[in-house]
Amino acid sequence: MINAGFVVNPYAGMGGAVGLKGTDGCVDEAVARGAVKVSPIKALRFLSNLMDRDIFYFTAAGEMGADILKSAGISRYEVIYPLNFTDRYNNNKTGPEDTKAACRIIAARNADLIIFSGGDGTARDVYEAVGDHIPILGIPAGVKIYSGVFATTPDTAADILKRWESVLFTDAEILDVDEEQYRLGNLDTNLFGIAKIPYIKGLCQSCKQASFGDDREDRIEIGAFIVDIMADDTLYLLGAGSTTKAITERLGIRKTLLGIDAVYQGQLIATDLNEAGILELLRSYKKVRIILSPVGSQGFILGRGNQQISSRVLSLAGVDSLIVVATQAKMQQTPDLYIDTGDPDLNHKFGDTIPVICGYRLAIRAGIIHN
Amino acid sequence: MTTKFILDENEIPKKWYNIQADLPTPLDPPMHPQTKKPVQPEDLEPIFPKELIKQEMTRDRYVDIPAEVRDIYTLWRPSPLFRATRLEKLLNTPAKIFYKYEGMSPPGSHKPNTAIAQAYYNMKEGITRIATETGAGQWGSSLAFATQIFDIECKVYMVRGSYDQKPYRKLMMQVWGADCVPSPSPDTNSGRAILAKDPDTPGSLGIAISEAVEDAATRSDTNYSLGSVLNHVCLHQTIIGQEAKKQLDMADAKADIVIGCAGGGSNFAGLCFPFVKDKIDGKADDMEIIAVEPAACPSLTKGLYAYDFGDVAGLTPLLMMYTLGHDFIPPSIHAGGLRYHGMSPLVSRVHADNLISSTAVYQNEVFEAAVMFARAEGIIPAPEAAHAIRVAVNKALECKKTGEEKTILFNNTGHGHFDLTSYESYFSHTLMDYEYPTDLISESLKKLPTVP
Repeated sequence: MINAGFVVNPYAGMGGAVGLKGTDGCVDEAVARGAVKVSPIKALRFLSNLMDRDIFYFTAAGEMGADILKSAGISRYEVIYPLNFTDRYNNNKTGPEDTKAACRIIAARNADLIIFSGGDGTARDVYEAVGDHIPILGIPAGVKIYSGVFATTPDTAADILKRWESVLFTDAEILDVDEEQYRLGNLDTNLFGIAKIPYIKGLCQSCKQASFGDDREDRIEIGAFIVDIMADDTLYLLGAGSTTKAITERLGIRKTLLGIDAVYQGQLIATDLNEAGILELLRSYKKVRIILSPVGSQGFILGRGNQQISSRVLSLAGVDSLIVVATQAKMQQTPDLYIDTGDPDLNHKFGDTIPVICGYRLAIRAGIIHN
Repeated sequence: MTTKFILDENEIPKKWYNIQADLPTPLDPPMHPQTKKPVQPEDLEPIFPKELIKQEMTRDRYVDIPAEVRDIYTLWRPSPLFRATRLEKLLNTPAKIFYKYEGMSPPGSHKPNTAIAQAYYNMKEGITRIATETGAGQWGSSLAFATQIFDIECKVYMVRGSYDQKPYRKLMMQVWGADCVPSPSPDTNSGRAILAKDPDTPGSLGIAISEAVEDAATRSDTNYSLGSVLNHVCLHQTIIGQEAKKQLDMADAKADIVIGCAGGGSNFAGLCFPFVKDKIDGKADDMEIIAVEPAACPSLTKGLYAYDFGDVAGLTPLLMMYTLGHDFIPPSIHAGGLRYHGMSPLVSRVHADNLISSTAVYQNEVFEAAVMFARAEGIIPAPEAAHAIRVAVNKALECKKTGEEKTILFNNTGHGHFDLTSYESYFSHTLMDYEYPTDLISESLKKLPTVP
C-alpha cells in the first residue's frame, strides 16, 4: 500500500486561458475574465486512473483535496488539515500557507510521497514545507510549469503511482518565474531548491531551460525560412519564445517574448492575445497557421506556457495549421515532444511524429508523446 | 545453398550499357549556363577529354570498355553477388535477398568503376592533372587510386562535414598521392566567397563541385572529373548491373525488386539501368526498381523536375533533373555521399517516365538496418549503402506478411569501415532524423534559373 499525501491548489492555472501569465495574486482578475478552475479537474483525472490501486491518502479539507477524492468515489483517505483560508488578500480562498501547513502535517505522518496539483508556485510552497525529506510529484495544472517535479500529464502522474514498485528516485529542480517580470516580458527563472521525485523515464518533465547555448544562427535561419514561406492570404499566430521572435525580427517588427502575437501580410496586427482574442481573429481569417516552439527542455508544444492556444482554438484552426520551430540544440535536449491540450482525442489527432523546422528548408522529424 | 555467385575474370563485361539508346523519352539537352542554349561538345572541352564528351552524348546502346581498363578492373571485378540467407533467416521472410557487393575494390566502393575509366581517357589525351570534389570521400579516394595508376596529379575538394568526420578517407587519398582539402576552401573564388558568407558552413557537394570546376577551368593542364550525376559516369557503372544479371542467372533467380541508394544517382544507375532496359523492352513489367534517398535530401522523392545548375555557384551546365534547388545545402547527415541537391538527368528521366520509383528514409532507421545487416551478414555497410538495405529489409518484411517469395536485389555499394563514428552516433542516440519540409517549401524553389 502507498501512503500518499494529496494536496490541490484549486486556483492554479486559472490565469492561463484568459491571458494572465500566472494566477498568483490574480485570482479575482482571472475570475472576472471568465476563468474556471482547472486544477481540481486535473486532480480528479489523476485520481480516476487509480481507482483500483491500494493507496491511502492524507489530504486537506474541501477543495484542497477531500472534495475531489469524494467526487472520485474514493473513501480511503484522512483529512489531516482543515481549511484556514490563510490568504488574507483573497477572502475565503486558500493560499500558499494552507499548502505549506498541509504538507508539513503529511510529512509528519510519514507518507511515502506528496502528490500536489498546481504550478510552479505550488511546487515552491510544497518544497518550502517538506524540502527533500519526502518525494513529491506534481500534477501539472499551473500556468507556468518550469520546475522538474511534474509528471507530463495527470494520466502519467497516475502511471508513476501504478508502477510505484519500480520507480527510481531522483533529484529535480524547483524553479519559479518572477510573475511580475514575466508579465512584463522578461523570463527570469530562479532555482529555488532541489526536491526528490519518483521518476520513470518519459513520464516526467525535465526542468525547462531558458537558453540552450549559442543557437542564434539556427534561429536566424528558421526566421528566414518561415518568412520566405509566409503567404499573403494567411494569418500567422506566433507563440512565445526567442525562436518565434526571430521570425518577427526577420520581418522587422516587434513581438512580445511571452505572448501569442498575430501577423498578417508582414504586419503585427495583435499582441499578447488571450484565447477569446484568438477565437475572434479566427472568425475573420480563413487561413491560419500557428507557429509554436517547444517550451524549454520539457519539449511541450501545447499545454504549457501557451494555454491561449486552447483545444477550442486548435479545433477551429485545425491540427494541420501547426508549424513547430526549434533550434537543433534545443531538439538535442528534447528529442521527443509533448502535446497536452487537455483533450486526449485532440492530442491524438497530431499523430505520432511531427516535423520541427530547425533551419532553412530543414526539419527534424520528432516523436510526439501524448496521452 | 550457395552464398556467393562469382564470375570468372574473362566474364567482366566488354561493353558498358548506354540507356540513352532505349529511353522512351529522349533526354532534354544540358544548357549552357550563360547562353541558356544547348551545350555543344566544344563547350565541355576545357574541362573534359573528348572521349568522355562523346560518351556523354552518344546514343549508341553499347560502348566498348578499353582492354587497359578491363585489366585494371580485374583487381576487384567481377564483384560477388551474395545471397543474404542469414538476413533472410533473421527476418524470417520467404523473400530471397541478393546483394551485389562493391566494397571489395581497393578504395572500398563502386566508385573506381568510373574513376579508372575517366583517368584512363584523360591520360590518353595528355592531361596531367585532374580536379574533383568528394562527399563522403569514396569518390575522392577512388579517383586518387585511379590517377596514380596513370601518373596523373589529383586535387580533391572534400565536403568539409565529411572531411572532419572521416579523417581516414583523406589519408587514403594521401597514400595514393592526391592533395585533399576541405571545401569550401580558400583555394578558389567560389570557396572564398562562401567562406566569407559563412565561415562555419559544413559545405556541400554543390559547393565542392563549384570549386573543382573552377580549378579545372582556370588551369590548362587540369581537367575536371565528376564521380556521379553525368551520363558517362552512369554508363561506366552499368558494369555492376550487367554482372548482377549474369549472376542471378547462375542463381536461377529473377529479380522482382531492384534497389539502390541514390545521391547523384550513379550506383543506382549502374545496378538498375540494365534491369530498366528489361522493363522498357516489356520483359519485366512487374519489376519494381526503387531509388532510396535520405529524407534530409530527397531530390527524386520531393524535388521539382526542372532545369537547374549542378553546383552551388552556377558554373556547370543547366541539367534537366529532379532538384531541391542548387542553393540548397543539405544538413550534415552521415551518408555524406547522398548529400546532393540534384539527381542524375538519366535517373531523373526514367523516374519521370515511371520506370522507377523512389522513397526517402530517415537516418535512425537506416542505421538500425545497417546494424541488423552487419550482425546477420558480417559486412558493416557504408551509411549510403544502408539506405538500400533499409528498403530491402522493409520489402522482405512485407513479403513476410503476404507470404510472397519475391526476389530482392540491392546494391551494397561499399563498406563502412571509415564510417564507424557514424555508427557511434547511432548507438549513443544522438542521430537526428532530419527531413526536407516539403509541405512548406514549394515556393522556396523560386530561385531556380529560368530556361527559355
